Amino acid sequence: MTAGYGTPYSITAFQTYLFSLNSGWIVARRISKRRHFGYKEIQGGVHSRSSHDTSARRVDASPGASPSSTVNPSEIAFFSRLSQQWWDEHGEFAFLHKMNPIRMQFIREKILEITREEQGEDVAARMENGPGLLKGLDVLDVGCGGGLLSESLARLGACTLGIDASEANIGIASLHAAADPRLSSRTPSAASAGVQGSLTYAYTSAEELLRGSQRYDIVCSMEVLEHVDNPAGFLSACAELLKPGGHLFLSTIARTPLSYLLTIVAAEHILRKVSVGTHSHAKFINPSELVGFFQKYRSLSPPPNEKSGSDKSWITRTYEHGLPSRKEAEVRGMVYLPWKGAWVLAPRVASAYGAATACNYLFWVRKPTSDAL
Amino acid sequence: MLSCSSRAAPKGFRPYNKLLVARADRARLHTDSRPEDYDVVIVGGGPAGLALASALGSKPHVRQTTKVALIEAGDLAKIREWHLPAGSFSNRVSSLTNASQYFLESIGAWRYVDETRTAPMEEMQVWDGISDARITYVASELGFRHPTQDGSSVPQMARMTENLNLQRALLRHLSSVSEVQLLDKTKVSSIIREDREGGGWPLVHLSDGRVLRARLLIGADGFNSPVRSYAGISSYGWAYPTQAIVATLSHQPRSPLQGPNTTAYQRFLPTGPIAFLPLSPTESSLVWSTRPHLAQILTKSNPDVLTSMINAAFRLPEVSIRHLHKLISDTTAHITPNQIQEEIAWRERSHAIPPNSALSSSLANVDNTGLPPEDAEMYPPLVKSIQPGTVASFPLRFNHADTYIGEGAGSRTVLVGDAAHTIHPLAGQGLNMGLMDVESLAECIGNAVLTGGDIGSYTALMPYAQDRYFENHKILSAVDKLHKLYSSTLEPVVWARSVGLEVVNELDSVKAAIMMSAGAEPRVTIGSAARIWGAAAKGVESLAGAMGLAVTIGQGAAGAVHNGLQELMRATTGQRRV
Repeated sequence: MTAGYGTPYSITAFQTYLFSLNSGWIVARRISKRRHFGYKEIQGGVHSRSSHDTSARRVDASPGASPSSTVNPSEIAFFSRLSQQWWDEHGEFAFLHKMNPIRMQFIREKILEITREEQGEDVAARMENGPGLLKGLDVLDVGCGGGLLSESLARLGACTLGIDASEANIGIASLHAAADPRLSSRTPSAASAGVQGSLTYAYTSAEELLRGSQRYDIVCSMEVLEHVDNPAGFLSACAELLKPGGHLFLSTIARTPLSYLLTIVAAEHILRKVSVGTHSHAKFINPSELVGFFQKYRSLSPPPNEKSGSDKSWITRTYEHGLPSRKEAEVRGMVYLPWKGAWVLAPRVASAYGAATACNYLFWVRKPTSDAL
Repeated sequence: MLSCSSRAAPKGFRPYNKLLVARADRARLHTDSRPEDYDVVIVGGGPAGLALASALGSKPHVRQTTKVALIEAGDLAKIREWHLPAGSFSNRVSSLTNASQYFLESIGAWRYVDETRTAPMEEMQVWDGISDARITYVASELGFRHPTQDGSSVPQMARMTENLNLQRALLRHLSSVSEVQLLDKTKVSSIIREDREGGGWPLVHLSDGRVLRARLLIGADGFNSPVRSYAGISSYGWAYPTQAIVATLSHQPRSPLQGPNTTAYQRFLPTGPIAFLPLSPTESSLVWSTRPHLAQILTKSNPDVLTSMINAAFRLPEVSIRHLHKLISDTTAHITPNQIQEEIAWRERSHAIPPNSALSSSLANVDNTGLPPEDAEMYPPLVKSIQPGTVASFPLRFNHADTYIGEGAGSRTVLVGDAAHTIHPLAGQGLNMGLMDVESLAECIGNAVLTGGDIGSYTALMPYAQDRYFENHKILSAVDKLHKLYSSTLEPVVWARSVGLEVVNELDSVKAAIMMSAGAEPRVTIGSAARIWGAAAKGVESLAGAMGLAVTIGQGAAGAVHNGLQELMRATTGQRRV
């Protein structure tokens, strides 16, 4: 561990619990930390500096500050042992491997949709049929784990930075990427192909990155949010790391009876795939809570030389069922089909009526551009 | 490192990548020559391998991001320059289904096929060698059509195409795709797993000393697939006690009253099916599956003897064919054409076949002016001669790999075509199954590239296996069952199957389902095709079930009551003997 960033921030909860397996079936044993937070708590976090709401048990977090909770070092050792299995496609993380293609599909669809909206059909069509969808974009993967998502982002041409608070994860991710000539940019073939991005891993936290000046076109954090003790602080940090007009992609689990049934009753108590007590149902976050958060959210620390719309809401209005405008934010369900052994991205219609978003879902929101109305 | 990455990386982070690169480089010193990185290495330049290279090369986003090499031991230039005068045909011919043809068109390879050397199959006649029960498939009745280059469409259930014509087309198509590297006259000397922490990639050592490091190694290398051995994939199968004789046949054109030579004929004899596949008005291809000793005698005999035997095999009653087989097997010296013709003529007389009937072989060398005999369209045209040098035979086997995707120590491998499955040729499905594999795999790779997947990973390849494994297995089993069903001379079995065939003939839907097994429908209707396939497979299944029942009845009728009781005892006490 290198001095300077190792001590207080290295063991943040949200990054060490990245070992979430399918639908956030966490491999860790974590019984003690069931805490209720929900919509109110997220609000509380955001407004912690200004509001007077002190009734909820909220984490004292503000953008730029680190989450306060820490993790038992023995659990870190436990996770680090597990990290060897990140790339075993039939092992502990099989479901996560299967989920990866549809997360990427969602990112792809959303980027194409916005491109079509803003740059026209021709540009979008070229992107759609050509390689290098994310060419030249700076992309951050928060809680990259073994690098499943990071590698895919880099293959699509993104200049990717994967960060994780587990040093073992970063080691495994780097080792795995080193085997791939298209990711370890030492080979000339990768550069000559002209569509390859780059991939860097770092052992750090989102809060730590905020101290630097680098901001990102896309920030992803998949299957992380439901393991965070201070989701408001975490979301703020991710949001602050975006350039104006940047995209934030999240995936997590909704707090519903269905998710209780699938992730706790079925996975833990019946199938015994996961140790009892792994999940904390109360920590799951509903789509409406994320939408609500970004309705209230304001960028508080505009990057230097940028007058970002700090007083502008990310989601300005919602429609039926509390759904945001698709140009501002979107929720899409992910459904596992056991008979196919594969995840599918739920159709938009299904996502809109909540049936498909009752367990695992993807969330996208866009940071307002500085010159937008 | 690219410039953008250093910008994206915060300063002061530990340079993990550099450490690991150094380690990896040290590891490489152990190999003889420095491996060259490839994303896809295809082993085998047969139709499946070439079609896969073509399909990958036809997708722009794959072409631009994926480095593809194809390794072939033979000289591909010979195939690229392959040429035969009009009227002579290679003996390896496949009935490319409409689905296969659609696929080849979609990747832009079909336009390099010399269509004048191909023939549409508009009708198919299949009959039982013993009971003479017959099914007729007519493309126009079944609604199978294929669009032509001038925008109209023709009724066709398959297109007879020489394998070399197809391979040449694929090579010509590939010469327009510079990104795909063809390494021919090169053998794979060994495949070794790279020694690397966290799982090595396959290292393909070539006979010219080069070493290719493959993100994905594809076995299109046939039945004895070295890639399958490397992957550690076992396979299940057996050799049939059968050899297939192939030859190019010359015959009279059909008379104007009969229509063009676009009907395929197949007669199921107890020794195996004999098939006649049209290539041109006066040439057709033979695929005759029969017992190995008969195949050996027939392929070595005088071509005129073989000609007579072929004509007889489509026409004479089964009992006489058995006698002819005995005759050629027992005669120590080679039998002469005259002897065999006299024997056939005598047998026709004894079966009361008039010399001017469709069942008579005597008109083989007579110009067919005037009215054709009654029912002439129920039998193939009489063969006049066999094109020199086209007679060959090969063994038949059933084989299916346990899986198509390598795992563990054999990861980053996938099998297509004959490396994954070999099939009895009676339904003409071998190459079509291979092409459907290729279409599915290329699509799977294309999708993975679009979402940034690692195309060598199990996750990326799984949709291919899901799409193809059971599909292929259904065809393999159904064809195997048909083969076994028709190899029997046991009377109840013959009765059951004649009833089976007649019933099948009455039911259009079942007929369409059986046709589906021949893949005549384009793949766009994959959902319904799969459904109908289920029905077809069930149909064959129940036919096989009927056979099992018939065998039981047969045994009972033979008076083996004691045996039957013993069977019953064994079954009830669970001491089943296998």
